[in-house]
Amino acid sequence: MSAPQQPVEAAIAAVTSVVLGKERQIRLALACLLARGHLLIEDVPGTGKTTLAQALARVLGLSYGRIQFTSDLLPADIIGISVYQREQGSFEFHPGPVFNQLILADEINRSTPKTQSALLEAMAEGQVSVEGETRALPQPFFVIATQNPGTQYGTFPLPESQLDRFLMRLHLGYPDAESERELLAGTNPRLRLPGLPRVLDDARLAALQARVDKIQATPALIGYVQRLVHHTRQLPDCEHGVSPRGGLALLQGARAWAFMAGRSHVIPEDVQAVFGPVIAHRLHSAAGGEPAIAAAQRVLNAVDIL
Amino acid sequence: MEPVWQIPRPALFWLLFTEVALAGLHADHLTLWLLGAGALVLGWRVQIYRGVWHYPGPWAKAVLVLMCGGAILASYGRLYGLEPMVALLWSGFILKLLEMQRRRDALILVCLGYFVAVTQCLFSQTPGTALGTLGGVLLVTVVLAALHRRAEAGYWRPVRTAAALLAEAVPLMLILFLVMPRLGSLWTVPQPRQGAIGVSDVLAPGDLSRLGASGEVAFRVKFDGTPPPHNQLYWRGLVLSRFDGRNWSRIEPGLDADAGASRRGGAGPQPWESAVQRLGAPRHYRMILEPSGENWLFALETPVPESPDVTLNDDLTLTRATPVASRWSHSLTSWMDYRAAAGGLGDGRRALETMLPGVANPRTRELAARWRGEVDSDAALVERVLALYNRDYVYSLEAPLLGRDSVDEFLWRTRRGFCEHFAGSFVFIMRAAGVPARVVVGYQGGEYHPDASYLTVHQYDAHAWAEVWLAGRGWVRVDPTAAVAPERIEFSVADLLGGERAFLADSPLSLVRFRGIRWLDRLRLQLDYYDYLWAQWVLGYEYRQERLLTGWLGAWDPWRLGFFILGAGALALLPVLFGQLRLARRPPRPPLERLFERYCRQLARRGVTRAPGEAPRALAERVARERPALGTDAAAISALLEEGLYGGGEPDLADLRQRIRRLG
Repeated sequence: MSAPQQPVEAAIAAVTSVVLGKERQIRLALACLLARGHLLIEDVPGTGKTTLAQALARVLGLSYGRIQFTSDLLPADIIGISVYQREQGSFEFHPGPVFNQLILADEINRSTPKTQSALLEAMAEGQVSVEGETRALPQPFFVIATQNPGTQYGTFPLPESQLDRFLMRLHLGYPDAESERELLAGTNPRLRLPGLPRVLDDARLAALQARVDKIQATPALIGYVQRLVHHTRQLPDCEHGVSPRGGLALLQGARAWAFMAGRSHVIPEDVQAVFGPVIAHRLHSAAGGEPAIAAAQRVLNAVDIL
Repeated sequence: MEPVWQIPRPALFWLLFTEVALAGLHADHLTLWLLGAGALVLGWRVQIYRGVWHYPGPWAKAVLVLMCGGAILASYGRLYGLEPMVALLWSGFILKLLEMQRRRDALILVCLGYFVAVTQCLFSQTPGTALGTLGGVLLVTVVLAALHRRAEAGYWRPVRTAAALLAEAVPLMLILFLVMPRLGSLWTVPQPRQGAIGVSDVLAPGDLSRLGASGEVAFRVKFDGTPPPHNQLYWRGLVLSRFDGRNWSRIEPGLDADAGASRRGGAGPQPWESAVQRLGAPRHYRMILEPSGENWLFALETPVPESPDVTLNDDLTLTRATPVASRWSHSLTSWMDYRAAAGGLGDGRRALETMLPGVANPRTRELAARWRGEVDSDAALVERVLALYNRDYVYSLEAPLLGRDSVDEFLWRTRRGFCEHFAGSFVFIMRAAGVPARVVVGYQGGEYHPDASYLTVHQYDAHAWAEVWLAGRGWVRVDPTAAVAPERIEFSVADLLGGERAFLADSPLSLVRFRGIRWLDRLRLQLDYYDYLWAQWVLGYEYRQERLLTGWLGAWDPWRLGFFILGAGALALLPVLFGQLRLARRPPRPPLERLFERYCRQLARRGVTRAPGEAPRALAERVARERPALGTDAAAISALLEEGLYGGGEPDLADLRQRIRRLG
């Protein structure tokens, strides 16, 4: 009998064939999805953010909707709109792209905060309210958002409340020399996307997520997670530390990571592996402070596992 | 939520309660109007709390302060002195209520409150006062505790906190009581004015009968061995040789040319003492004096004091360097069989002791001269006068008032008097007859506690008698009262005059009144006994301390004492410290975590120090890299630890311990 995490490995292998040299980020992205979290990918344009999101949607076998965020995008463009049907004499709801299992919110920080917020309820509660009616979204429901670094023109930074709703934030970065040569030598990865196998479907994904929930976290480990979270709240140059939701996200991410490593329990290394992606975007450095990722590293260095 | 400066409701309640209680403690020496002002201010504060009235404006406050200050000046007549000072303190304590808006103000009141509570001890040192002061301190501490709690904590929580705090302080309190040297006061504390209770140095007819109205204790005496019989208990206080026609008083030091130098307690005999023969067996005893505010002491005849504070004067009375302002005790020895000045009286002395200025009381002078002519010796004259008293006179507290020729009026008109009338008139007759004589005042008798064998002398035991100088015998005590009413000397004034209206008139609640009721009498004696024990062991501890501590420490020097106080104080605080540590202690670590720490120590000894964030697995990997020889062992131990710590497994602890030990 194959190991339970075997489909995940297959999915990783499939995505890696398209997004070259980024295995660690791909693993983290999958861990994020297994932990039922939304994923934020941040980097300069052209580093393969969209390709990664599309490849994930394809491999996971989920229904896929894509929203290209622009400065004139309106909430109705995301959620959907009711259109008057002359024949029936009534309004009919035309669902927007949010009614898919996997949403790619491309360049999410290009639109106004008002439109960004339209995704908030969907991400947090798996439902949307349209014209006074609450509509459930399909399950599972993922949002993979990409964003350009905030220093670029025409961006509206995501509000902190919304950042907190993403379980992880990943940076892709430029590929290493070998991967880049390979990329240049081969065909356009975009063209290879349709050829990717569907490794999972929604039912199997739900089963994997249920297994992740059952990964054991002993009191010793929970104590470690608690001390980490507590330490972030005492950093001198952070305005505020990690919220309790952040702590839960850290533990859940570590569970997913442990599951992917084939363990039935979480060890401190799992927590450390996901700590940066889960925590960094939740730390808000005071003006002039060190980058959040450096602060996160310092927390890891300082907190004892015992 | 509430503002941080707000005074919690329970704290306000306890503060007002404390103000009332402290007013009760001080009620004795606060005037009625001050208590009234206190009630007014308290009422005002309650109205402020209810939101009915406002805080007083600056003018109203200024008027209140001026009124209080002026009224203190008016009722006490001065501002310097203990009572007015305490009254001033108390008024400040009560007036501050009207300014108290914030927690900070209340804290000032707490500090003041401690001070007000302990000033009580300046006035009285009875067990009751001690209890009252302790209660006051507890209440103030309750306020302090309530000020640092939220209102929701309720009214009783602060009481528990305060009681616990005080209980923790008790061992320290006891140790300080035991070992702290009793230093004299660093500044002059004005003495309270005791309402002139006690024998005074000027004796006018009627003075001692007034003392008969008081049931207060004058002093207590504990004898070594069997005490003398009641009729021998003459507690000499003052020798009054000067007569101004009405009052008897002491001779000022300069007037008496023959006076010898006083002898200090503990010192050797002075030259003048060669005229004093101490015969018979000495009696050693200890006296515990109630505060009198005066510096003369009382003793049985021919005393020799032990305390260096006490001096023996050449009239064989005792004085203390400073007035007795609080309970005080000292030891002395008396020879009740004695001869004083038996060899003869100096001329100056004789002149002083026979001096009768003026021409008042002509009938008495004439009688004395006539009688001296009729008898053949001074002793016979004494017998004759005593016989006269015995025949025609009545002993009573309720003596009629006397006019200018007081002796004449007493002898021929009223014929009714208390001891000072008899002693005064007797000495007058003797002097008029040319016999040296003087009045002695003090106390006579006392009451034995049947079980504890000590003697209590009350103010109503105050007594005056005479001393006559007889050739060949020296000074001889003559008590005219014994001739009039022998029961007074054999038993007690309480037995004799208990029925008179004037007896104990100032002490309506005194239990002496109910001597007839058996169980009440037992109760009275028992209470008196506790008071005696208190005086002996708590107030009198000062005099045992040195001997006791020398016994403990081996010697009495500041270094030993200092270290002893430090050590004992630390010992007393130890339980408190342990309690705090127990509260602060982290829960004990699970055994696996302790083993992990041991494992890390072993590795550190081999040069691999674990970083804080390094988990067992990462550590083992690093060991394999840096110390390949240890790699497999470390990997096995790390795997076991990881399984136990994070996998929920239960590895064999003994085996693990073994492996870790082998690592080193």
